[in-house]
Amino acid sequence: MALFAELRRRNVLKVALLYVVSSWLVLWFEDAIRPNVDLPVWTETFVYTILAVGFPVALWFAWTYEITSSGLKKAVDVDQTQSIVYKTGQKLNAAVAVFLVLGVLAVFGQRLLPTFEFLVPAAPVGDPPISSRAPPEIRSLILDNGLKIIVWPDHDIPNVAMYNLVRAGSRYEYPGTTGLSHFFEHLMFLGTSNRAAGQFDAEMEAAGGANNAYTSSDLTVYMNWFPRSALEVIFDLEADRAQNLTFVAEVIASERAVVQAERRSSEDNDNFSKLREQLQATAFIAHPYQFPVIGWPSDIASWTEAQLINHYRTFYAPNNRTLVFVGDVMPKEIFALADDYFAPIPAQTLPAAVKTVEPDQLGERRLVVEAAAQTPLLQVAFHGASARDPDTQRLELLLHLLAGGDSSRLHRLFVEQLAIALSVGAYQDESLDPGLVVFYLTLPPDGDPDLVASALLEQLQLVASEGVSDAELAKAQNIALADYWRELATIDGKAAALGQFDVLHGSYERLFDVPDSVGSITVEDLRDVAASVFRRNNMTVGVLRAPAREDDE
Amino acid sequence: MSRPCFLLALLLWVGQAAAQGVALPDNLSRVQLDNGIVLILSEKHDVPLIGLRATLRGGAVTDAAGKAGLASLLGGLLEKGAGDRDAAAFAETIAAAGGSLSVSAELESLSVAAEFLARDADLMVELVADMLQRPKLDSGEMRRLRDRRINLIRAAKDGDPRRLIATYGKALLFGEHPYGNAINGDENSLQGISHRDVLAYYKNFVGADRLIIAVVGDFDTATMTESLTAAFSAWRPAAAALPELAAPVPATGRRVLLIDKPGATQSYFWIGNVGVAANFPQRAELDIANTLFGGRFTSLLMTELRTSAGLTYDARSELTRASLPGSVAIVSSTDTASTVAAIDMALALLTRIHDQSFSDDMISSGKNYVLGQFPMELETAPQLASLFADLEVLGLDASYIENYGGAVASVVGEELRSVIDAVYPETDNLVFAIIGDAELVRDEVAKYGPVTEIAITEARFRP
Repeated sequence: MALFAELRRRNVLKVALLYVVSSWLVLWFEDAIRPNVDLPVWTETFVYTILAVGFPVALWFAWTYEITSSGLKKAVDVDQTQSIVYKTGQKLNAAVAVFLVLGVLAVFGQRLLPTFEFLVPAAPVGDPPISSRAPPEIRSLILDNGLKIIVWPDHDIPNVAMYNLVRAGSRYEYPGTTGLSHFFEHLMFLGTSNRAAGQFDAEMEAAGGANNAYTSSDLTVYMNWFPRSALEVIFDLEADRAQNLTFVAEVIASERAVVQAERRSSEDNDNFSKLREQLQATAFIAHPYQFPVIGWPSDIASWTEAQLINHYRTFYAPNNRTLVFVGDVMPKEIFALADDYFAPIPAQTLPAAVKTVEPDQLGERRLVVEAAAQTPLLQVAFHGASARDPDTQRLELLLHLLAGGDSSRLHRLFVEQLAIALSVGAYQDESLDPGLVVFYLTLPPDGDPDLVASALLEQLQLVASEGVSDAELAKAQNIALADYWRELATIDGKAAALGQFDVLHGSYERLFDVPDSVGSITVEDLRDVAASVFRRNNMTVGVLRAPAREDDE
Repeated sequence: MSRPCFLLALLLWVGQAAAQGVALPDNLSRVQLDNGIVLILSEKHDVPLIGLRATLRGGAVTDAAGKAGLASLLGGLLEKGAGDRDAAAFAETIAAAGGSLSVSAELESLSVAAEFLARDADLMVELVADMLQRPKLDSGEMRRLRDRRINLIRAAKDGDPRRLIATYGKALLFGEHPYGNAINGDENSLQGISHRDVLAYYKNFVGADRLIIAVVGDFDTATMTESLTAAFSAWRPAAAALPELAAPVPATGRRVLLIDKPGATQSYFWIGNVGVAANFPQRAELDIANTLFGGRFTSLLMTELRTSAGLTYDARSELTRASLPGSVAIVSSTDTASTVAAIDMALALLTRIHDQSFSDDMISSGKNYVLGQFPMELETAPQLASLFADLEVLGLDASYIENYGGAVASVVGEELRSVIDAVYPETDNLVFAIIGDAELVRDEVAKYGPVTEIAITEARFRP
């Protein structure tokens, strides 16, 4: 009992009581704020551990030391006649009482008074996906200015993929402005009222981030890949160029030269691209999809500053964009940052709708490009479907079984058996308005493009008349499914797919319908879509070959 | 380096990457079969896919003399039927499962890359085992593939010269050394390869003693180990030893190879010399140096040639990673009329990195960039499988792997300078490969050194 008495005398029991009460307060507080701020998951364990470890330390401290009128001393050294342990004990009692009252008030106060919520301002939490097939952790939000933000947390690696999709592309261009959207994509890296040309990339790379961008017929897309630690830098950079871009004559002139160089690299000195550009310009007669995304050279040389400023104001408004974040982030922190950085940017009147519909093609079209070539090229285009049209997915399966790899029909027949082609492939545009389905073949040096074009149409019409086998359908479905999973294996692939589906297919949730909708396609579906697309009158045949020798003429 | 030591290094490295927040698989398993095959397995269950990389040491450096492209051709032929399946049935089986399976030749290895849905794990192992151990190597398939590849090189010469310029550059730099071989061969060398050459190559250079199989993905390690062991433990070793190559000799003085592509509106150039081997001890310094010189958008080359001068769309510096010193080169392209302006500027920048140091801010930016981007290289099953196989092939020194992250973080200016001087050539000793319209640039590029000229249609990549 002597020990117990000494424990009491040295206030160890009171300290223990105070410790328990204050620990309860700390735990209550941690619990109360956790739903409102994104504390890491280990916080709770951490707090418990610290409190548990601290308990014996506090008791030991109380036993060993004693508060005296001349400060802290070891209890054994204190002259007991001068001891003020009783006074200290009174103070401890008072503290326990105060903490208890505070605790009770806080607990009841929290229940009774909503005023406790002002401690942490509520960040928007966003909406969960409307489809039960979509991962429930995805959140989306539309700011008052119309900017849509989609967040898919994925903590595998400490990085983030951000896609910034702007509804601007060659679809909105006309003779004189072709390539403007693409050129503008370059300008977005070249200076704001806060940052000189080059500073955007310098700051991003210094923070560990990398970026790229591309322009298509429908979209201008900016991608940033960065470590989580660069999140705020990225917001700062993106919000700055979203509202403060500058148009400096020398910078524009220099970048025009860069884009002319890009055009020479990607179109002029590559036979495949040279033919593709002419094919596209021939297949469309009315719709702006006829224009090359990079623009015709004379247009690249002649945009005006006024056109560029107008493009910025019209197309880069927040209500004409979607932001996608995938990676080591939480929706709430992204929405809070978006609120800070993007909410102040005002909405604008949206660009005028593109109303031109490509009229039905009335007969086969043919074009020839003459260029230095050892091997002729053949590209055959058909008008296809828009991204939202279910026919697009059917066509995708058809293209897999016709021209996807060594087991495909056209590869087996043209490359392996007949040796009339060196290689064959196919793609279709994934676009807002109906785009092209294109077969492209490289022929041997002595190859006959006309013969191969006829054989190709014959094979395609065979699908329309006789359909495909169940095994071929199953194969195409498996390839499509595997491609789907491969894309979703990376944060970049996920971000690209969410953005693509939200902007081109109407909602990001549709991305998660793909496995089911691919699985429900039938052999009849494939035959029907082949019959409607692979028609001679819907076909444009492009041939690239060496100029005929003069002695032949 | 001994095997256990290597595994230890790998584990330490994985641990370190994890410490930086990269959730690398922590369940790495390494087993060596009695016939020498190394199995490296790691489970990863985020998507229902499995990535496999089976790498044979050897590659293009084992091509017989004058038969460049032999290893690569054999690789292509491995895809043309194996086991009970002929070429068509083999391709059909892969596609029907939605899988991918292909063989590619590199300078010092031949690699099978496979990716299948998890449910087809057994099929994947069966196909890879058949392909390596029981390929058909049919003579008709071989001739068709060879003839097609010859024509595909012609087609490539009609295409974007950016895809060919390094092949010309390396042929010029390394001359008769195997590092100068076009990995997929040229029109002439392929023409000289017979079916008998391919059979001999298969017997001599394809076998268990030099094979590494790395598998990452959605599987159970014990089951996968059992399955691979059953499929591969009875395989024979290759008959011939891997060649011992002498280190390539750096070029002294300057010479120019001008590849004429009439009508080209741009000149494409590759300017380089011999650099260092993959086991170069100061790899972190070198990675930072190359990032700053020509390895990212704000590199010196891009900033000056593209952003400031508008001379090009793309400019970079490239290092070949190989067991002996490989190439180090500046690669870019420009409007035909500005050929000399762009090359002069590239040379001036090469001089500048020897004469002036990068600022501390720039070095710190380079470190952040390297550290910030590398997790994205280690994200998918195929990426990890390929990484594990490559590390094993290169036999990288343990200290390099253990210390890489820390080494990047602790790079300082003076060491960077000494590495730049050790790795990047002086402007007096360089080879220049230039693809362009010879008539328009022939005279002006002569100032860089004696010019040899060939037409792009010549059936080879060297004069």
